[in-house]
Amino acid sequence: MTEALLKLENIARNFGAIQALRGVDLEVGRGEVVALLGDNGAGKSTLVKIIAGGLQPSSGRMIFEGMERSFASPAEAKAAGIETVYQDLSLCTNVDVVANFFMGREIVKKYFGIPVLQEAAMYSAVEKAMANAGTRIPSLRTNVEHLSGGQRQAIELNRFVHWGGKLVLLDEPFAALGVEQTRRGLDTVRRIADQGIGVVIITHIMAQAFQVADRIVVIRQGVVAGNVRAAETSPDEVVRMITGEALRSPAQETRLNGRSP
Amino acid sequence: MITPRQRAVVEFVLDNLVWFILAFVLAIFSLAIPNFAQPGIFINIIEQSTFVGVMAIGLAIVIIAGNMDLSVESVAGLTAMITGILFCSRGIGIGLTMTPEWLVLPVSLGIALMVGGIIGSINGWLVVKLKMSAFIVTLASYIWVRGMVDAISGGRSAQDLTPALRIMGIETFLSIPLIAWVAILCFVVFTFIMAKTPFGRHITMIGGNPVASFRAGIKVDRLIIITFILSGAIAGVAGWLLAIRTSGATANLGIGMLFRAFAAVVIGGVSLKGGIGQLPGVYAGVLLLSTIQTAMNVMALPVHYTQMILGALVLAALLLDTVKLAIRQKLA
Ligand SMILES: Nc1ncnc2c1ncn2[C@@H]1O[C@H](COP(=O)(O)OP(=O)(O)OP(=O)(O)O)[C@@H](O)[C@H]1O
Ligand SMILES: [Mg+2]
Repeated sequence: MTEALLKLENIARNFGAIQALRGVDLEVGRGEVVALLGDNGAGKSTLVKIIAGGLQPSSGRMIFEGMERSFASPAEAKAAGIETVYQDLSLCTNVDVVANFFMGREIVKKYFGIPVLQEAAMYSAVEKAMANAGTRIPSLRTNVEHLSGGQRQAIELNRFVHWGGKLVLLDEPFAALGVEQTRRGLDTVRRIADQGIGVVIITHIMAQAFQVADRIVVIRQGVVAGNVRAAETSPDEVVRMITGEALRSPAQETRLNGRSP
Repeated sequence: MITPRQRAVVEFVLDNLVWFILAFVLAIFSLAIPNFAQPGIFINIIEQSTFVGVMAIGLAIVIIAGNMDLSVESVAGLTAMITGILFCSRGIGIGLTMTPEWLVLPVSLGIALMVGGIIGSINGWLVVKLKMSAFIVTLASYIWVRGMVDAISGGRSAQDLTPALRIMGIETFLSIPLIAWVAILCFVVFTFIMAKTPFGRHITMIGGNPVASFRAGIKVDRLIIITFILSGAIAGVAGWLLAIRTSGATANLGIGMLFRAFAAVVIGGVSLKGGIGQLPGVYAGVLLLSTIQTAMNVMALPVHYTQMILGALVLAALLLDTVKLAIRQKLA
């Protein structure tokens, strides 16, 4: 792999006496999907919030695009191209898809100094972005309130890519979605990554992690308990990493098993 | 399941429901009430819609942004009184004159805009910076601003507005009085602003989801303050028009307008939830109220009936809002 998009070195964070993270190292490459797994309270959300500027680490370094960065707020992280996508929270359901896509960054043309919205230009830009990502939405002129949770997520992700996002963070993005919508959501995530975007996705569902991730990172009690390529591991092994049953490789294990009578 | 086509039709009807109701009511009245269907009556309806109409624009914008402004009526009362005191020659009027004479027009309008804008900015500041409930803040303004009207007038009135201003209420264009044109112009301008500029788009999005708007980099606090300033300034214009129409001002001028403006906004399709509504609908709502009022005048119904019917209309409007929301949710 060439230089990583994001590199975390020895990130720690405590909340008073609680040590939520105690020295996490993590790398995310361009176009790479990293699934973060771990038990409840392992520190996954805390880690993701630190990356997105929502929390500051107590210690450790964060290197983004080769530069050491520390984000004081989500807005700063966003300006650098890092964003958390939350379901619904970042959309205005009372306006249409186009308006949401261009929220706060509308294309305008000034007439006598008065900025006027350029609907046609915005429409075709959204149409193109959606087509690039293979997202199909019945009409870009429908208000977002009429769209499914999965479609909303797709809009947010496409919007993120369109506006030059580089690393997207997803904290249990499919928790509220049905089977079919989750499948499409995973598809979208894959396509986003294929456009060169780094993705960190937190999930509790093993199958999702294996379906979408290039690499699986397991957090356990605030440290990285496993960091494996998805293609080279198995759900069983990941479960063992999560529960802390064994921090050894399957090879070691067979050897051990082989020795005992 | 409904097709996108059917949905579009239902959406269109819901969006423009009040225009359909207005056309229906006008048709019924024209058929049922003798002497109703004549130009004079229709012009009267438009003229009557001037004051509540202008006031309703600001109120609607604040509500679309997800807030509330109960102070508009008192603000109009205050600017009417200030206009009256400055430019009336009898009563408590001090009879200010200017050369050239027409200068009083922009000057008085400017004063009305400024006074309204200042009160609006106080409301907005309290709501945004001190995070107070818009309902309570503007209820308080409703009370203290009316108190101020009483204070500066001593409960007395101003009469005989300077002719340079009076002319706005007398002269007509296409047989519609100039003041009614001012209202129509206000609707056209603000409809454009709300529908075609980033400002209007952002106001609507803030009403829909302030958190998302904020995350998208929209200056939510600033825009909310601006909506209150606009609402105050527009209410100021309503008061200015009121003074012109009455050729002066009394201490209780404008009382009761809040509820009609409120009813018009809700009937016009603006949801109290915020984020939903268009200004042309609000104008239709105002026209509808004036139509009913005029019909009751034509039929010579006693005033207390008018009160009761208006009350019932406000309730009906709120019900309609709920029903429309329910239908939209079903559609989703
Ligand atoms: N703001 C906070 N104040 C105090 N403690 C916190 C705070 N946020 C997280 N913690 C603690 O830090 C630890 C890690 O929490 P975190 O939310 O990161 O876990 P998680 O891996 O996302 O768990 P889950 O799978 O349940 O979402 C927990 O012990 C939690 O109680
Ligand atoms: Mg979590």
